[in-house]
Order: sequence, then structure tokens, then C-alpha cells
Amino acid sequence: MAKPLVFEFRGGQVSFGIQKVDRTKLYGYVDTEVVDEGGRACELGTLLGDGHSVVGKGGTGLAYLSPDGLWRKKADLRPVDRDGKPIPTAKSTFDTVVPLTDQATIEDYLSHNVYLIYLLTHEQPEGMAPQPIEELVEHLREGTIYRFPFTYRGGVSTTVGFLLAGGDGNLFLCVGVPTVIEYVGLKATAAVVVDPGDESAEDESLDFSMV
Amino acid sequence: MPEVSLCNSKGRDAQVMAESVRSPVLVRWIDGQDRQATSARILKSTLDYDYDALLQRVGSPQDVAKALIAGDPEIDPETTGSFLRDTSRVFVNCDRKIVYGVTQIEIVRNPDGSEKTRRPRKAQMPNVNADQPLLWSGKLLPKREVYNKFVFVQKLQVVHINGLTYDFLFDIARQLEEKNSLLLVGAGPKAAQPLILRYGALPYRAFLEGRTRGTEYCLLLHLSNIELKAPAAPTAAAEGNAS
Repeated sequence: MAKPLVFEFRGGQVSFGIQKVDRTKLYGYVDTEVVDEGGRACELGTLLGDGHSVVGKGGTGLAYLSPDGLWRKKADLRPVDRDGKPIPTAKSTFDTVVPLTDQATIEDYLSHNVYLIYLLTHEQPEGMAPQPIEELVEHLREGTIYRFPFTYRGGVSTTVGFLLAGGDGNLFLCVGVPTVIEYVGLKATAAVVVDPGDESAEDESLDFSMV
Repeated sequence: MPEVSLCNSKGRDAQVMAESVRSPVLVRWIDGQDRQATSARILKSTLDYDYDALLQRVGSPQDVAKALIAGDPEIDPETTGSFLRDTSRVFVNCDRKIVYGVTQIEIVRNPDGSEKTRRPRKAQMPNVNADQPLLWSGKLLPKREVYNKFVFVQKLQVVHINGLTYDFLFDIARQLEEKNSLLLVGAGPKAAQPLILRYGALPYRAFLEGRTRGTEYCLLLHLSNIELKAPAAPTAAAEGNAS
């Protein structure tokens, strides 16, 4: 059984099971069938630079290389940020209790690209103290959005999880990444620089002989 | 950076730019000497050396296993491990030959996998460009009512290209901010069609949000192709395993 997602809310703990929601489950999906002139099924392949060798599914791999082209194992590499500072690894969100302390505004939420949606389902764990689920549901349905770092399996890449109530009243976990939106203003146009040499030589009077 | 033509509430249109706001990758991987490692795609095997080719060559899965123990029949010393550069995508048929003429058929399926309809595949033409202004739909949706009805999977920031379009976009941003609403943006004469930003791209419903700060503005085009709601039929247990 999958581990539940556990939140700490107003001194109690609330646990949820998750169920991924995507377009396929809501609207169905489209398969593409490709056939040749004889009606036989075809599949995609990769034609190599030599013009005749073809690679099928699973025929390629990913390698890590040092700047001088030497093979590097992923396990021997360390993650750092753009300034070279080490990035600490995070535990899976399912291995921790997530405190619901950081409320996000609608604008905060809208500033992220959401790429994963999970429907949350609550089941009262057997033999445990009652969980404040009704209180939390009511709070979220009033429009509260909670934000927390989210990582499914743990590692260096943490994304942002948003806990909110959907328009249909169900609770959802929306996982997103922040975007780089910025306010823009009217930038001053570059000033025209006049060559002082030309300026001194220029006659102030209007020369009609050039017309 | 695509160029879009946008109308304001007065029906005036202007050409502006829509910029990507996707955040760059923030993680770099370095080796023991603090040098940044790069990733590269390499070749494992071509169709001539994969499992199906070996099976055809030796006859049975058991013989493939024996051949793998006895030697390296899956490795072509000339190509295995080489870097993949200048590659192209091609279709191959069941004889593993490149096919130059194909027919593509789309099979539309219901959420339960049952077939709904079949149709020839047709790439969608873009309907957002400088020649086709996006009309002001007038449909303002309060933020509090819309943020949890749709999932905003992508966004573009609409920016000006000169002083005139700065005024134009700033006014739109301020108008939307004052209403605390998102404007439903659509293509076509009734501003009702989903936006197709590039040739063959997915169609998206679009919502315009405006924010201002002093003399600066932020105009965001939120793109959505899914509603935030539970599937109609109960599905199997949660996907993935958290353990």
C-alpha cells in the first residue's frame, strides 16, 4: 500500500491517499496508428548520422561526461546551484509530516506552472486519534491555499506543492514549478549621441542652397 | 518569442510579444574536481543488434541467452557507445525497414480506453499570430472563482515592443487588476476557440491576468488544458509508490 501524505494541521495530523489525475482520466486520449502503404503497422525510430543505421526504442542511453570527455558515473557527481554552492538533498514528502503553516495567495499559486495533479482521499487510520479532517476541508473550501516543498521520491529537485479545494469541493495537491515573471516598465530609449566635432562645424543658419 | 496581436476593451489591436517565463534549470552536476559534467546521448544498439534481431538470427529466446553468455552478439564494436549526433526521426515497418510514405490515423478513446472514433491525423494550424488579432472576449472571471476550476499548466508573459504598446498593455493590466479577474482569451471571430500557439501544438484555453506596481505592469497569459476536478469514474489505486 502506498504511503499516505500526512499534514500537520492545528495540532493534529491529517493523512491522505493520493490519486493522479490527468487528461486521460478526465477526457480520454488519442492513440496514433501509423501504417505503411501495405497497411502494416510502423513505429518510430532514430536514423543515425551515417544515413542507414536505425535505432529502435531503448537503443539509446544517457551518459555523463567531464569537460575533457571522460565518462562520469552519476553517483560520483555532486549537485550544486548556479553559484557552485552544494544543494542539500531532501527526503521524500511521504517520509515526513508536512506542517501546514505557509498560506499562499491566489497570485502566488498563479505564478507557478502546475504539471502534476493529485486527488486527495482521506481515510481515518485505524486505531489512531480522530483527525481534524472536517476542519481542514472547510478551511480549504473557504479559499485557503497551503504551500510546501514537495518531492515525490526525494533528491535534489524540490517542487512546490499546493494544497487546495477544487471547484467541485474535492481536495487536490497541485505540484508546480515557479516561473520567472517580472514587472516591466517603459525603459528609456538610448539617447542619441551627437559627435561634438560635427556640432561645432554645423552652421546654425538654415542652408537653403542644399534644398 | 512569438508575436501576438491583442485587442483591448475598446476593440483596438496592437502587436506585442509573448515571452516564455519557464525558470531555467538550477541544478548543475560537478565531478570530484569541481568541473561541470554534461550529459550526452549515446548509442546502445541499432536495430541490427537488438533483441528481435538476435532472436531472428539464433532462433529462440534460449539460444539468445546462450549467445549472450558465450559472447557479445548485441555489441557492434564500430557503433556501440558512440555519441548520437545529426539524427533524424523515421518510421520503420515490421520488416524493420525505413518507410517513406505513411498514413497516420488518430484513434480517439474514452477514459476507459474504449474506442470513440477514428480520423486521419491532421496537424493543428496556429491561430495566434500578428495577422489574427485575439479579440477582447469581455468574459471576466473573478480570480477567486477560477483559480480552482482550471489547472494552469503553462504561461506566457505579454510584453510591449515600444512606447505605444507599453501604454496599451499597462491599461489592460490595470483594468484586469481593478476587476480582480482573469479575462478569457480565445481565437476566432467570437474569441471562443482555444489557442494554438505553434504548428501542430496542443490547443489551450487561455486566461489573461494583469498586475501593476507603480509604472510597471505584469500581464500573464495563463494556459490550461485540464479542469481541476475529480474523474467521473473511480480509478485504480494511487499511481506510483511512495515507499
